[in-house]
Amino acid sequence: MTSLIAGTPIPPLERRIDITDMVAYAGATWDWHRLHYDMDYIRKTGFGAPIVDGQMLGALMAQCVQDWVGPDARLIKLGFRFLTPVEAGNVVRCDGVTVSVESGVAKCDLTAHILDAEGRVVGTAATGSAEVKLT
Amino acid sequence: MSDTILTEDLRARIGETRVYVAPEPIGKAAFRYFALAIGDHNPLYTDEQFARDHGYDGVIAPPTLVCETNQYANLPKEPTGYAGHGWDLEVPGTRLLRGGNEYTFHQAVRPEDILTVTWRIDDMAERMSSKGRPMVIVTSVAEYANQNGELLVTNSETLIYQSRGSGS
Repeated sequence: MTSLIAGTPIPPLERRIDITDMVAYAGATWDWHRLHYDMDYIRKTGFGAPIVDGQMLGALMAQCVQDWVGPDARLIKLGFRFLTPVEAGNVVRCDGVTVSVESGVAKCDLTAHILDAEGRVVGTAATGSAEVKLT
Repeated sequence: MSDTILTEDLRARIGETRVYVAPEPIGKAAFRYFALAIGDHNPLYTDEQFARDHGYDGVIAPPTLVCETNQYANLPKEPTGYAGHGWDLEVPGTRLLRGGNEYTFHQAVRPEDILTVTWRIDDMAERMSSKGRPMVIVTSVAEYANQNGELLVTNSETLIYQSRGSGS
């Protein structure tokens, strides 16, 4: 992290989120909302597929940043806005760029993209930002 | 459609708070379960020695876990399956969408931490969507502290009550 400056890109983190991952996340967070797994309920709400808990994208962003800065750096802020719902089976890619590095704190912008089967970006699930205290 | 949907009854709820105290410590297994579920294999969450080698007293929670778990709420399941904190705000003719979150991490969460979570309705505002429909934006703030009164994380959450469209 010695060469970290404004403009330094954050290595992307890519994950396919399947229904099993969503059920695991629902269990791990004590959140059993039917929107994440119950097709009868999902059809009634007008969605065509189980909807990924948006905060899974926040967890992905946190992982993306922590993996990038390493275990000695401390994530101190993370914010995100939801733009497009992610459906079960979608592949999400989180990436970002360093915005500033001042007084040992790096600020970065983050994006969670939705990819198609060929790996092309077809939508933006969420945008966000983070601050990390470097060591 | 020209009537305000942010009524005085709704506005009167700004400042309302709810406090939850977890019935037990959050626990080391919760860290590993969450890390497995999101596919994050960082040893900070599972390996005591690794965590100590990087300046912690032992394993820590994946950062967003405390803001996501309903473990502390100890509430019954609603018909939707949801069993966490909510405000039960009635905004007729709207549907609820999640806008986003802003987390501030003050102190790493440890397995022995017993959460006290204080939710507060910080603000409500009426806005027009890009389609010219009114919506109510509700900002709530949750503060997560441990049994020693140490503030761990602050979570500012945005909820959007969006009009269902014409005729509703």
